[in-house]
Amino acid sequence: MAGDQSPQRNGRPDGNESGAGQGWVAMSYLISGIAVWGFIGWLVDRWLGLGGVAIAIGSLVGAAGGVYLILRRLGSP
Amino acid sequence: MGGDAVVAETVVLAQDDLPFPPSVEDFYLPGLFGAYPWITKFTLLVWLAVAAIIIFFLVAYRKPKLVPTFGQWIAESIYGFARKNIAEDLIGHEGVRFAPYLASLFCFILLTNLFGIIPFIQISPNSHIAFPIVLAVISYVLFNYVGIRRYGFARYMKNSLILPAPFFVQPILIPIEFVSTFLIRPFTLAVRLFANMFAGHVILLVFTLGGVVLFNADSIFVKPISLVSWAMAIALTFLEALVAILQAYVFVVLTASYVSGALAEEH
Repeated sequence: MAGDQSPQRNGRPDGNESGAGQGWVAMSYLISGIAVWGFIGWLVDRWLGLGGVAIAIGSLVGAAGGVYLILRRLGSP
Repeated sequence: MGGDAVVAETVVLAQDDLPFPPSVEDFYLPGLFGAYPWITKFTLLVWLAVAAIIIFFLVAYRKPKLVPTFGQWIAESIYGFARKNIAEDLIGHEGVRFAPYLASLFCFILLTNLFGIIPFIQISPNSHIAFPIVLAVISYVLFNYVGIRRYGFARYMKNSLILPAPFFVQPILIPIEFVSTFLIRPFTLAVRLFANMFAGHVILLVFTLGGVVLFNADSIFVKPISLVSWAMAIALTFLEALVAILQAYVFVVLTASYVSGALAEEH
């Protein structure tokens, strides 16, 4: 039993997290990316009265940021 | 006989003898002792679950044998599963010290979820949002506490919020990381469990009560359809058993993976 302790299992999120865990991480990055920057866009929209343009830009920036985070955190190093 | 007429008469029938269709109100159970609202069926079920788990593990481990009895085998399998397949696989060697929490959490959620399909109990405390919220708060406090104790507050925040990325994208990424780690995690942890158990209970209510409503319908052509409805209710009960196990597992796996993330070196 003591022989099969693989030394790289030290809890790094990069390689050996479970599939379900990775899926939820990816989903929460995407959702929170769009939600956060969409919300900031909405605030800017309210402030400047742009009629929705800022929300669109914010959501796109947030989605791009979310995808970037997924790639950095879950993609191969 | 037109379809409209059938629908009209079943609905009229439903209104005077059954709470059909089911609504959110069905989940706000009345107090068991008169007007005193603090002890409901949910409260009793939670106590029952805690007592059952404590008694089961005490009895199973009281006289451990080298060749385990059936109860001991079940208890050892559950704990071994939480320890090897969840704690050690996700957190690593130091995950062993979280195994008792993860195993208790798994047993508690599994048992309370299964209350949703056990005859004569047939509702899970987890289908009321309050209980999943408390469970999620415990896990949330746990993973943040563990991370802060290991690294200190500032470094823990830096570990969780800042990725090695060009400095000009950091302002975009940090709010996303913050919301995803500190707001969405506890929220989804609670809502995922709650929504699954709530929806499961509503579905079973719809098919069971719907069968009764169909059976009470005046039209002889409508009555047999109630059998289909009850058959669906039985089939969905098995599906709910699967959902109960799966959601308990998912909750524990995510807790373990959050703890693992909090303990990990910087990314």
